[in-house]
Amino acid sequence: MKDLTISASQSTPAITTDAAEGRMTLRGDSYPENSFELFGPVIQWVDEYLASTEQPLTITLELQYLNTSSVKAMMDIFDLLEAAHGDGRDVSVTWYYDSRNERVGELAEEFKEDCSFPFAVVSR
Amino acid sequence: MKKKRYQDLESRIRALLAEPGYEGHPLREGLDVLWQHTVEQLERLERISYLSDAFQSMARQRERGMVERYDRELRRLAKIVRISDGYQEMMRNVNAALKESSSRDPLTNLLNRRALMELMKDLSSRPRALSGGFVVAMLDVDHFKRINDLYGHDAGDRALVELAEVMRASVREGDHVGRWGGEEFLIVLPQVCLADGEAVIDRMLACVRASRIQIEGDSLTLTVSVGIAQHQDEESLSNTLSRADRALYLAKQAGRDRVALESPDLPG
Repeated sequence: MKDLTISASQSTPAITTDAAEGRMTLRGDSYPENSFELFGPVIQWVDEYLASTEQPLTITLELQYLNTSSVKAMMDIFDLLEAAHGDGRDVSVTWYYDSRNERVGELAEEFKEDCSFPFAVVSR
Repeated sequence: MKKKRYQDLESRIRALLAEPGYEGHPLREGLDVLWQHTVEQLERLERISYLSDAFQSMARQRERGMVERYDRELRRLAKIVRISDGYQEMMRNVNAALKESSSRDPLTNLLNRRALMELMKDLSSRPRALSGGFVVAMLDVDHFKRINDLYGHDAGDRALVELAEVMRASVREGDHVGRWGGEEFLIVLPQVCLADGEAVIDRMLACVRASRIQIEGDSLTLTVSVGIAQHQDEESLSNTLSRADRALYLAKQAGRDRVALESPDLPG
């Protein structure tokens, strides 16, 4: 499986995947001009990874600001995880946020609502 | 009831067809054919109703599925909107905090030079009849270099912070005290004539003179010199400021710890 390495820009987060380790990381702000172009391959990677192996998937997020289309893309990813979790797969999300910006943590908690897979919101 | 009647009919016909006495009778063969046709038609009818029922329940299930999916999408959309609003609000707060911090002097937390300029531009763009005009007071701390030389820059900074607080607390509520740079301050006094502005500044000078500022165990009295000028209609802001600056020079020349005026009528 082809891994993704997308470096951060002013308006897009750094995105890396590691299929061998079952890891994906998104870090930074996200208000892309074309969110389909940015998140299309990410969602596809998650989908293909979950279909291609029975190994666990761990997603680490350090996202600050998200625009509406990025919010939707994240929910698409969480929906895939939720379905996989329903099939008994080992999937999890850890969302780190800066303790000086409580609001980011509160919004991460809102994403977490209705997710039954392990989803940790951690301040640091 | 109908089923019972059919069962009765069926056993009657079967009995007739099985009766050896009617063997070879032309009506018997006719009845046999008719009976078989009837049985086939009944089976077909049953099949049709079975299929029709199946389609109906499938359609009902599909409809229920669509309603569920629609509800789910609606809930999802509501969640996206809610979270997105949260991010927007967060952005707004960050902007407000940035604006606040970009308009403050980090040492004294008074308005900075940029904010003062913006404020005066705003005031000068309005006709005096509406805004009530404004007076600018340019301030300089007397002999401040001596404090820096004697106690060091950190102590000098602390003295400026204390002085700033005394000045801010001793002017009117609507007056704007800002740091112009170094030991220079600027006060914008809206809706006031030159004489009333002078009275406000005089009161402030008395407060500054009366306060003791503690530095390295010493109790110091600081004073400031002030030049004031009233902004005139059609006058450029920089002209008003240089008139106030000139008045400040006059105050220094006249012995410091005082306010001097720059009237636009005076040559200068």
